[in-house]
Amino acid sequence: MACPLESHNSELLVAYAAGELEMEAAHALERHLEECPACSALAAGQAAVWKALDAWQAPAISPDFDARLYRRVRTEAPATWWRRLWRPLRPMPLFKVLPLAAAACMLLIVSVLLERPANIEPVAPRAETVRVDQVERTLDDLELLNQFDVASHTDSAHPNTM
Amino acid sequence: MTRMGDAAVALDYDVELMLRVKDGDSASFALLLEKHRGPVIHFLYRMVQEQPVAEELAQEVFLRVYRSRASYEPTAKFTTWLFRIATHLALNWLRDARSERGQERLDDGPVDHPSHQISDRQASVEQQMVHKVKLEEVREAVAGLPDKQRAAVLMHKYEEMDYGQIARVLACSESAVKSLLFRAYETLRARLAHMG
Repeated sequence: MACPLESHNSELLVAYAAGELEMEAAHALERHLEECPACSALAAGQAAVWKALDAWQAPAISPDFDARLYRRVRTEAPATWWRRLWRPLRPMPLFKVLPLAAAACMLLIVSVLLERPANIEPVAPRAETVRVDQVERTLDDLELLNQFDVASHTDSAHPNTM
Repeated sequence: MTRMGDAAVALDYDVELMLRVKDGDSASFALLLEKHRGPVIHFLYRMVQEQPVAEELAQEVFLRVYRSRASYEPTAKFTTWLFRIATHLALNWLRDARSERGQERLDDGPVDHPSHQISDRQASVEQQMVHKVKLEEVREAVAGLPDKQRAAVLMHKYEEMDYGQIARVLACSESAVKSLLFRAYETLRARLAHMG
């Protein structure tokens, strides 16, 4: 067989140490290991690593793990559309939110600055609509006032007639 | 190699369970939790090396699975998806912890080394001490690996994932995984070969 190290196939030695090779492939490799000190050293080292990792057991899981999880699941009430919209932003740390907020502010400022005054149409003065009946009523009022003035003058000129 | 490759997604029973969760079957979620709770927490523990943090991250993993039920599409093996979430959370936590602690190494501080890690309770005190020192050496060697190499080694060693699945979890090519594992095992051999 081709030397795994020379053929850049060192994963074969890793697989051998892990006991993952088929029997035939393992025997072929073992024959090679007998005559290749470099591969033999690597395989022995890898076997030691595998054994050392085997000894590393993870601690026991807290008995209330599931209960805690289901409590959190229950608090996941049916989300309203706005809560679903907000959710991606909610756990976002400040350093991610700040650039977004700054970008939004910049966009707002630029949009205000780009609003050209020339775009504002001058407001045309509204044409006054004059109604004939209003004019007639006003003239009538004026005439009534004149008559009232005349009457008051007459009253002041002859105070004793009352 | 005898490692099981990615089975067709259609044959993945976990995918079927997840599709039932999507249809509102909470019992299927309980089954998925029962089956994957241990591997996920243990993987996260070996990644972050703090049990309370590992459990908290695992809660987030399963919560995300539950939250995503409505939009779930079986495009990959369920475990690939599950460990992608777990790895993502672990790598983020490690990055944040590093930036919080500056250059302080994660393994400098006190960590939990429960006595139950010593499998042989009948061993003498001296043997227990030797065993504890060896475990500490292993733990430190793994903690010393770059984050992605560590994730690749843990998935390869403890979850028995093949290169293809690890590549899909880490969102990289198989050759990149081979390279990650080659360098990782090279480092571990340099540190742990004397323990053989």
